[in-house]
Amino acid sequence: MTRRAETGLIIASALLAAIGVAIVEFTRGNWLNAQVALTFLAFAMSFGAMQFAITRWATGASSLLLPIASFLTSVGFIEIYRIDSDLAALQRWSLLIAAVSGAVLLWILRDSGCAVLRRYRYVILAIGVGFLLLPLLPDAWPIHGSTVNGSRLWVRIDVPGTSRVLSFQPGELAKVLITVFLASYLAERADAMSVVDRKIGPFKFPEPRHLGPVLIAAGAAFLVLIYQRDLGASLLLFGIFIGMLYIATGRSFYVMVGTVLAVIAAFAAYSAFDHVQRRIEAWIDPFGHYSDAGYQTVQGLFAMGSGALTGSGIGLGRPDLIPAATTDFIFAAVAEEMGLAGSLAVLAGFGLLVAAGFGVALRSRDRFRKYLAGGLTIVIGLQAIIILGGVLRLLPITGLTLPFMSYGGSSLLANMVIIALLLRVSHEERL
Amino acid sequence: MNIPLRRAAYAILGAFVVLVGSIGYIQAVEGPNLRDDPRNPRVVAWRTGRQRGPIVSADGVALANSTPSISDPKLYERQYPEGDLYAHTVGFNSVLYGSSGVERTRSADLVSDRDSTISGVLTGLLGGDTRPRGVRLTIIHALQMVAAEALGTQKGSVVAVDPTTGAILAMVTYPRFDPNHLIGPDAGSAGQILETDPADPLRNRAIDQTYAPGSVFKVITTASGLDSGLVSPSSEFDDPIALELPGTESTISNYSDKVCDDGTSVSLELAFVRSCNTVFAQLGMDLGGNQLGLTASAFGFNAEIPFEFSVLISRFPRPATIENDPAATAQSAIGQRDDRATPLLMALTAAAVANNGTVMAPYLVEEIFTSEGTIESSTETAIWRRAMSPASAAALSDMMEQVVISGTGRKAAVPGIRIAGKTGTTEVTGEAPHAWFIGFGPVGAGSDIPQIAIAVVVESGGDFGESATGGSVAAPIAQQVLAAFFGV
Repeated sequence: MTRRAETGLIIASALLAAIGVAIVEFTRGNWLNAQVALTFLAFAMSFGAMQFAITRWATGASSLLLPIASFLTSVGFIEIYRIDSDLAALQRWSLLIAAVSGAVLLWILRDSGCAVLRRYRYVILAIGVGFLLLPLLPDAWPIHGSTVNGSRLWVRIDVPGTSRVLSFQPGELAKVLITVFLASYLAERADAMSVVDRKIGPFKFPEPRHLGPVLIAAGAAFLVLIYQRDLGASLLLFGIFIGMLYIATGRSFYVMVGTVLAVIAAFAAYSAFDHVQRRIEAWIDPFGHYSDAGYQTVQGLFAMGSGALTGSGIGLGRPDLIPAATTDFIFAAVAEEMGLAGSLAVLAGFGLLVAAGFGVALRSRDRFRKYLAGGLTIVIGLQAIIILGGVLRLLPITGLTLPFMSYGGSSLLANMVIIALLLRVSHEERL
Repeated sequence: MNIPLRRAAYAILGAFVVLVGSIGYIQAVEGPNLRDDPRNPRVVAWRTGRQRGPIVSADGVALANSTPSISDPKLYERQYPEGDLYAHTVGFNSVLYGSSGVERTRSADLVSDRDSTISGVLTGLLGGDTRPRGVRLTIIHALQMVAAEALGTQKGSVVAVDPTTGAILAMVTYPRFDPNHLIGPDAGSAGQILETDPADPLRNRAIDQTYAPGSVFKVITTASGLDSGLVSPSSEFDDPIALELPGTESTISNYSDKVCDDGTSVSLELAFVRSCNTVFAQLGMDLGGNQLGLTASAFGFNAEIPFEFSVLISRFPRPATIENDPAATAQSAIGQRDDRATPLLMALTAAAVANNGTVMAPYLVEEIFTSEGTIESSTETAIWRRAMSPASAAALSDMMEQVVISGTGRKAAVPGIRIAGKTGTTEVTGEAPHAWFIGFGPVGAGSDIPQIAIAVVVESGGDFGESATGGSVAAPIAQQVLAAFFGV
């Protein structure tokens, strides 16, 4: 695909978002207004900035990634705008900041390439783990954690001299940083770790010291689960560890050990925490827990069911009835108003994005870049699967944002960084 | 080195395939169930929360209104200010119980066009009026109130119709229910109580219940005789104390168990005025089941009445079942045995006499009007049937007037207005008789043409019980309605 086609698709996505906003305004009895123009501008400028960075500093980059990311962002944005226009205005700024950050990242890596990430891997790991633990800062500090809906994921910064508060979810970026670290760590150790020749009974085991990272992964994920009460993030983190170990070593042993650990952890969490128990029960029988833990799931099902094949039409459904419709349940909102047609388009978008990401990884000649691209693709794919599985009742509901589509600046920033890194990796294969 | 990467890719893409199957199942297969689940707040919001146009009576009284909800200003709440009076005509629009009445049949007009359909969007874009329309009924609220009050708490129905147009002027049934209870927060329990009530208050007895018509059917038997040329009002009949039915041991006697007049002979007109069974049973046998069946069909028996709602079909035995059975023909001729009629059809029977033998198609909705009050469409009147010749109708009209002047229907008389009518007292095995009255007024021609035809039925004698007759129970109800209509 040519750059010209990529530009065309980016403009098409910006138009999609603008038309969506226009339809929402029309259903409210308004005519075209500034919101429509602002939306088009924000999308065109954001993804335009990314493409500008590509043409300057990553000329060989894949042209598949940006159009899909912009499409998904547009569809999600339309529903955010429809549910809460004030949030959508903030989201536009977030998109601009995230896209410019992605462009800046491409500029930073213009000469040194991905290799610089490898050089500073322990710094990156430290920042990543620090971000992960940041929400645990005491409430009294100027930079402090904050508990929302029972999960401690947020960090708030009191801006000095004003009453304003900046808040962000450092966990979103932490997962990217940890993935970068893992890619470089595994690029060096994978060969040793893939030797699995110690026999204990009928089972083969690798050298015990190679099991260390797996146990660290399990431990870190479990700590996140306990202290931040965040099922989704811990599951995602754990999945990234195991997934990357597998693509680096090719040993299904790690996947099996990981699965066993995950099951044990799940049982432990189930018996230890009330909120986990409630979620599991509500997952098995959401209608039986309609008035409490199952409420959100059931509202999501009602929304999706009401959407049927063609949906209620943008602005004509009631996605505002779903709790967390702009974040975790954005997919249910899309499914209600755009119907099965819209939800399949979104799933196709994610499928294409994941396929394109793995394509970048498969073509990589360098081990680090291969693991990096593969790991980042797993981050997006797994995160989408965990939250969509929850919305669709295939998994218990866990709080996670849907990449590119959910409301949230931290999430957009993290995903734009992922896209920028994937673009850089694909560029380096053409050098 | 790429093999595990490929496997990971397949695993993740495979998971997406599962997600596709899952969303497909939820939206395409389970969709309708989830959409219609009573707990789905969209059902409340969209089925009942949208603004609906007003429904008003012919005299402009609001029968259904939408007002913005206090809890959510984007939603509307429906009110039925007249309570139970229009439960079966205006109907209701409920989350739990769906919609009924005009609320159902005219739903497309009552809700806004501003929806997701292409035409709706285009209409809105082109600046068309997409606001909900209003519905004006033909029912006169003042008359409806009088009819309901006259019927009181007796099971039964009152139907009044304009004989020259077919416009329904009043349609009352008892027992009733308050539709406001079916849309409120306690709709579930209220609906259950109604559904299990043995008195069946959900049934519109005017159109959804048939009764043996009894002596009011003599209007049709007489029409059959006059139309076929077999008899005239002055034709003389034998006047036995009881008519023996050929081939059976049973007899037909008059209501009083006496002779009709002097025991020798009696004219058809006098027999009609006194509602003598013996004469009309004999006339029926003289006409034969076939001829009688043709006339009954001409009046609308065994046929679907074209109306706003589906009307239970009134039944007269098929000719084959009674043609060679004089006893059955005799009983059918006086509205007993297997004859069954809805109050609406009996009102149309009276209207046929009033309107020179022509039955107009009954209608309930006068017009659809826009939110600005201009008329968007109005119902065009249509002829449904020609029941009999104008000459027969004129003769019957005179006979029916005599019923009210000097016969069984005297209690329907309205001072200063020429009223025609016919009573009926239907024998029901094991129960008190149903009391009938059908009639119209004013009798006349030219500028003084009939303006209202009416049918009243009171189940099982009403407040009078075993001693009830059409003349004593039903005729006074009709009298009150007619008097109110003529402002007497």
